[in-house]
Amino acid sequence: MKEMISLKFRLFIPAFLLMACLLSFTAKAQFTVSGTVYDGSDNSTLPGASIVLKSTNTGTITGPDGKFRLEIPAQKSVLVVSYLGFEPKEVEITKSISLSISLTQSVNELEALVVTGYTTEKKKDLTGSVAVVDINQTRNLPAGNIIKNIQGRVPGVFVTTDGSPGSGARISIRGNSSLNNNDPLFVIDGVPTKSGMHELNPNDIESVQVLKDAASASIYGSRAANGVIVITTRSSKNENPRVELSSSLSFQRYTTKLDPLTAEERGRMYWQAAVNDRLSPANPIYTYEWNGDFNNPILGSVSYPEFIDPDKTMRAADTRWFDEISRPSLQQSHNISVSKGGENSRSLFSAGWHNNNGIIKETNFSRYNVRFNSSFDLLNDKVTIGENFTISYQNEVLINSYDVLVTSLIQQPIVPVHTVDGGWGGPAPGMTDRQNPVRLIEDNKQNRYQYSRPFGNVYLQIVPVKNLSFKTSFGVDYSLYYARTLQKSYTSGFLVEDDNTISNNVSLRGNYIWTNTANYKITAGKHNIDLLGGIEQIKYKEEWFNASRQGLVSEDLNFGYLSSGSKNQMNAGGGRINALMSYFAKANYSLKDIYLLSMTVRRDGSSRFGKNNRYGNFPSISAGWRISEENFIKNNVSFPLYIKLRAGWGLNGNQEINDLAIYNIYQAVYSKEDPIWDNPTQTYRPNLGTAYDIMGIDQGQLPSGYIYSQIANDDLKWESTAQTNLGIDFTILEDFSGSVDYFIKKSSDILYFRTLLSAVGEANKQMVNGGDIENRGIEVMLNYHKTWHGFTFDLSGNLATLKNTVIDIPDELLINAPLSPLIPNEAKTELDRSVMIGRSVNSIYGYVVDGIFQNPEEVAAHAAQPGKAVGRLRYKDLNGDNVIDEKDQDFIGTVDPKLTYGANLYAEYKGFDLTLYVQGISGISVYNGYKTYTDFSSLWPGTNWGSRILDAWSPTNTDSDIPMVTLLDRNNEGRLSTYFIESGSYCKLRNIIVGYRLPASTIAKLNLTKARIYVQGQNLITLKSKSFTGVDPENPNYAFPIPAIYTLGIDITF
Amino acid sequence: MKRIIALAITLVFLVITGCSDYLDVKPQGIVGDKELSTPENIDGFVISAYAQLANDHYTIPNLLWPYGDLRAGDAYKGGDGPADISTFHAFEIFSTIQPDMSAYAPSVLGDINNKKWERQFVGISRTNLALSRLKDVSAEAYPLKNSREGELRFLRGHYYFDLKILYNRIPWFDETASVSDIENTSNVKYTSQEVWDRIAADFRRAAELLPATQNDKGRPNKFTAKAYLAKVLLYQAYEQDDNYNVVNINTGKLQEVVTLVDEVTASGNFSLASDFAENFLFEFENGPEAVWSIQRSHLDGTTIGNLDFSAMLSGPMSNEYGCCWFHIPSQNMVNAFKTGENGLPLFDSFNEADLTAEDYVDPRLNHTVAMPGKPYKYEPALVYTVEDWTRRPDIYGNYSSLKENVSPDCECFERIAPFMSSSKNTNLIRYSDVLLWKAEALIELGQLDQAREIINQVRARAAASTGYLYDENGVSLANYKVEGYSSFPDKEYARKALRWERRLEFAEEGIRFFDLVRWGIAKETLDAYFSTEKTKRTYLVDAQFEKGKHEYLPIPQQQIILSKGLYIQNNKY
Repeated sequence: MKEMISLKFRLFIPAFLLMACLLSFTAKAQFTVSGTVYDGSDNSTLPGASIVLKSTNTGTITGPDGKFRLEIPAQKSVLVVSYLGFEPKEVEITKSISLSISLTQSVNELEALVVTGYTTEKKKDLTGSVAVVDINQTRNLPAGNIIKNIQGRVPGVFVTTDGSPGSGARISIRGNSSLNNNDPLFVIDGVPTKSGMHELNPNDIESVQVLKDAASASIYGSRAANGVIVITTRSSKNENPRVELSSSLSFQRYTTKLDPLTAEERGRMYWQAAVNDRLSPANPIYTYEWNGDFNNPILGSVSYPEFIDPDKTMRAADTRWFDEISRPSLQQSHNISVSKGGENSRSLFSAGWHNNNGIIKETNFSRYNVRFNSSFDLLNDKVTIGENFTISYQNEVLINSYDVLVTSLIQQPIVPVHTVDGGWGGPAPGMTDRQNPVRLIEDNKQNRYQYSRPFGNVYLQIVPVKNLSFKTSFGVDYSLYYARTLQKSYTSGFLVEDDNTISNNVSLRGNYIWTNTANYKITAGKHNIDLLGGIEQIKYKEEWFNASRQGLVSEDLNFGYLSSGSKNQMNAGGGRINALMSYFAKANYSLKDIYLLSMTVRRDGSSRFGKNNRYGNFPSISAGWRISEENFIKNNVSFPLYIKLRAGWGLNGNQEINDLAIYNIYQAVYSKEDPIWDNPTQTYRPNLGTAYDIMGIDQGQLPSGYIYSQIANDDLKWESTAQTNLGIDFTILEDFSGSVDYFIKKSSDILYFRTLLSAVGEANKQMVNGGDIENRGIEVMLNYHKTWHGFTFDLSGNLATLKNTVIDIPDELLINAPLSPLIPNEAKTELDRSVMIGRSVNSIYGYVVDGIFQNPEEVAAHAAQPGKAVGRLRYKDLNGDNVIDEKDQDFIGTVDPKLTYGANLYAEYKGFDLTLYVQGISGISVYNGYKTYTDFSSLWPGTNWGSRILDAWSPTNTDSDIPMVTLLDRNNEGRLSTYFIESGSYCKLRNIIVGYRLPASTIAKLNLTKARIYVQGQNLITLKSKSFTGVDPENPNYAFPIPAIYTLGIDITF
Repeated sequence: MKRIIALAITLVFLVITGCSDYLDVKPQGIVGDKELSTPENIDGFVISAYAQLANDHYTIPNLLWPYGDLRAGDAYKGGDGPADISTFHAFEIFSTIQPDMSAYAPSVLGDINNKKWERQFVGISRTNLALSRLKDVSAEAYPLKNSREGELRFLRGHYYFDLKILYNRIPWFDETASVSDIENTSNVKYTSQEVWDRIAADFRRAAELLPATQNDKGRPNKFTAKAYLAKVLLYQAYEQDDNYNVVNINTGKLQEVVTLVDEVTASGNFSLASDFAENFLFEFENGPEAVWSIQRSHLDGTTIGNLDFSAMLSGPMSNEYGCCWFHIPSQNMVNAFKTGENGLPLFDSFNEADLTAEDYVDPRLNHTVAMPGKPYKYEPALVYTVEDWTRRPDIYGNYSSLKENVSPDCECFERIAPFMSSSKNTNLIRYSDVLLWKAEALIELGQLDQAREIINQVRARAAASTGYLYDENGVSLANYKVEGYSSFPDKEYARKALRWERRLEFAEEGIRFFDLVRWGIAKETLDAYFSTEKTKRTYLVDAQFEKGKHEYLPIPQQQIILSKGLYIQNNKY
């Protein structure tokens, strides 16, 4: 647990100053004590620990080797040995002696330094809501993304993820406050970024803290409305060079598998569906021997031809497509770091490799990281110069796992993977027009993207006079994306592509960040004032282009460069720029260390807004009262007690909109965008083309023109979020600690696309401000720590509630609800003001299913519902007008989890350690899109169906709640209804880790400082609601399945 | 003192690092307003207005087959069953058409009724934008100014025409309307007749401004405009009451239709193609009969070509095509091609039995409908079969649509897996259509013999159109027998003959339903159709046409909401 305490290094500077200071006060020595201070958990030495003679100013700190030497008066004395993050220890001294002092880690982290905006504060001085992630608990998890590892560990931070090797994860803090971008701001070593964290090496991370409320986040102003995650990377703290090695190897397999029908079952269910419809079962593939009596149909046998296609190349099969596309796979991570610290310089070098083969065949993600952090103190420590720099390079196979997963479910089992002559199997006449998923894998496995991201900063800090410091930091965050992809020609059933295509996609984007701050501390008696002022400039640029050609004579990627193509040269490109200019100030005041007050203000300007409203002001104020320090408590409580009450209010902003939102846009669109799918999910709908063959020549360059696609809005301004936070932090008996927060977060002037009447024409969307959304919730965090006869026991748990409410929205705003990315687009509905107010923006709206019609009498008695019949779903006539239509819809679920929780148990005994981690959510609805395949033969008649359909309603199976099989969806049963809404609550045993630390004697023999091996299991057990009929409620639709992962790992330090 | 120094240093430090014009970044990739009012750029806005013709999507086609054929008893939706684009299924059975169809499967498509409304206005906004730009230049600076204005008025008229026949009550405005004017224009500001007047006025003005001929095949000329004006006036002549009953037929307008068509004929610009097939073959596109068509293209530098998206779902399922078998000719329509011994349609008995190989038929059947055992699209070696070419024969029968499709060997053919289409133009108005408008007007005016001559002219061409209709062995595909009418005994008979002729001539061309509504006979026609077709296609059991409602589509619910009550929903929705 040694690394757990953040920023030992940061202590080093003040501690060093303190030592210099104290030494000058050293009085005449009477005798000398010397000794070494150890970390009790692993017997490593602690440099920079403070040793003070009790009730005096006499003291010293340990050197880089953990050793100290102190002259003290020749009388019975008590030494107080303390180190940040450890329990202080008092040692009685009666004679000259060499001591060996072992400190145990403190659960009470009040003294721990927490990185807040542009500065650090002690946790006990915080007045805002800041959660510190216990990085140590996630250290051994093999995920490629730190965000994935903090899932469930911080109340109010909701992480959703999938199982893809690239480790996608989405994070939202305290709910959706915007209709646009709900991603938090990340600040890595002081450099802000909105980009994904999966490029960061989790092994390089020293600490992660989440600034949840406005009081702590508003120093980041316009980008802080969704919360701020502050990440600090590791640095060195030891005199001797230290080498740390860690390696882990993981085995992954899927535990969640769908059960589609076999070829025979598919044929039988088709017959059943056809005769239910009183249709002659004329299927292009299957032939049936049956009695021909629709009143009492009896199936004799199902047969199918040897070949399913007219050319007789596809031999009828019984393919288990999911088995064909999936595999157990390996994941590995290897890291090395070398660090050395000294009086005037510190440096750390690290390198890491992470390689993850996904459980879908041929998927692979590989990442290389190199980091170099260093700093130097010059001119008697008046100047510090340093840098943090990392570069990550990653590449990933470009296989569309969504397509592969969907087609593996819906491709008919009778289709063979390959034709008899080794070509690709594929859909035969009458089947759905979807690809062979194995071909999708094999034809794309050579295609990878490459992505490289240099990220870091250099800084200079000057302390011209005592208590005043200036810091200038210049950061860069750039990325280069490059992909060269070869799309092969193919014939796969009736799907044919005659042309191959080589494409290049390149983009260069990123920003620089220049931050200048000044810090001044005033201490006058009982008053402590800490002032901070600063300026920050950010400029973002992006340029991209794509190019492609067709007609390659060879489909080998080694040949496949643009110049190798002979026809259809195509290209496109674009770019964008935006800038931010910010001024900020912060004042912290504390009186007697009991009354705390903090104020910040930030003024942000963004190029994204019109001249009229370019700047926004973001103030905050917060106060803390360490009530337990008041005499009325102190004098009446006999046990150790610490209580702090906190209250804060502040304003944050959101400016994450298109760079061009304020402008009139005229543009040339030679080629219409997304012509095939006409994707309606994009906020900017795909532009329609402006080129036309006016001369009627059929081929060649066309004349083209312009469209007016957006109306300017000079009044566009920030979306602002006001947040009030009330909190309490407590520690009782030093073992039990916790915090409780209550917040109300209200966003106003929400940025959204105003949809004008379509009659306005092409420019019928305009970004405007309006509407209010509120989130409120309670967050609780509890810790219990006990050491008992060498047995260390650490239990922590958290839970959070969240309620999202639309307070007001403008008339013309239609919300494509629910907003949640958990819900696939086809389950979203456009809802307006009349129904949204008072609801969550994540509400699901639809019809209510009221069982299955059991007999003709029930059908006759029901309201007019086109397509109603025995065996069909009955929809509730909610408005009682005796007609089932669009007016019979209501709110049928919410995608916000009402409760999220996590609990971690850590136990340690004689070098053995055990971690158990449980995480869950409840009170959440999910749309189970798989049900359109697993429960219906009519919604996708040409696909395969799920085995649930075998239990469908029939006159002899009337208990079933799956409607009767049919080929004719006359009843429009694919409509959004309660039939597809299920409980998404789950509780998962996320991790079990068992570790063993080699005893000190053994590692000494091996010349090591530390060695530990562990085994780890991830995603081992899932408890889910009975109403959930899919495979994984965390991942209810077509996302990459989350695998179970088993890891063996080793950490060595020498 | 120290503190003051510190403060001063701080201030200086902060000021020098900030700079005021830092946020003035130039927007990337867009052009400024002022640069666009030159003749070349205005020509660009004009092209953009045309481009919307080819910007259709397969769910929102500009050839109106889902609206004109599925609602007329001429075609089934087809595809993978009723749930495959269930909004089109709703069009076919009427009973599930509602103002908000956004949840209709697959709802990833969105409310395609709303999208159709939206796309028409995209076309209108593009023409209005170009028209207002045109005012910025003089005729001296821009010699084509008049012609371009004529073209734009023609295009605006065209986009409004389709909107009018689909939705009836629509907001009308011109290029002078500001955004707030448009947002304050109700769909009931003008009566139905007043909207027709405005659409007609655009074509009238276009006919004045346009030259008699154009070099570019895609641009309308004076006579294209006169022809379209005739169409508008013909629709307008049938005056409807609020329940869409035809309450008066305006003879003045019909007389003008006759005059206009005569002018079009006299221009010599258009004539009937010698073989009916040539209207549906890429090799003959922009031929003599093509009055107004969408110019499609490929290998043109766009992502997948400006292909015929209207036909993208219509391909059959064989290996040469593979998707998606929509737009399936109905049995009723196929039967309508039967002829008697006299070579005339079987007006009363055509649907008593389904077509057999022995029946006499009109040759247009085999230009229109792909049938089992017969060559597909005039390719004798490419034989259409139920097993390999159909998708859901148990639901939708065995036929397939031909006119919009092309041979897989056509140089115009393009695959865009899983779809396919071609760069073959889309016919919107054929000259035979223009001729039959005149015949229709003459009948209503009581001039039956003149009308009969026109109808016989069209039938004679049909009778002569057998040159492509042979199998591999050179055997004719069916027993063809088509004769002209020797006489029209009365107006009723003449009407019947005209209406039948239109059904056969324009089968599967997205026209029929609008004819039925114009004539005021949608209800009776569809009732008769459903009563027999239901017994053959069980999915039609829910079909129900409600008079005074289903003649038009509902105004999309989203537009009603966005208009904040300004738009009034159509009858009974």
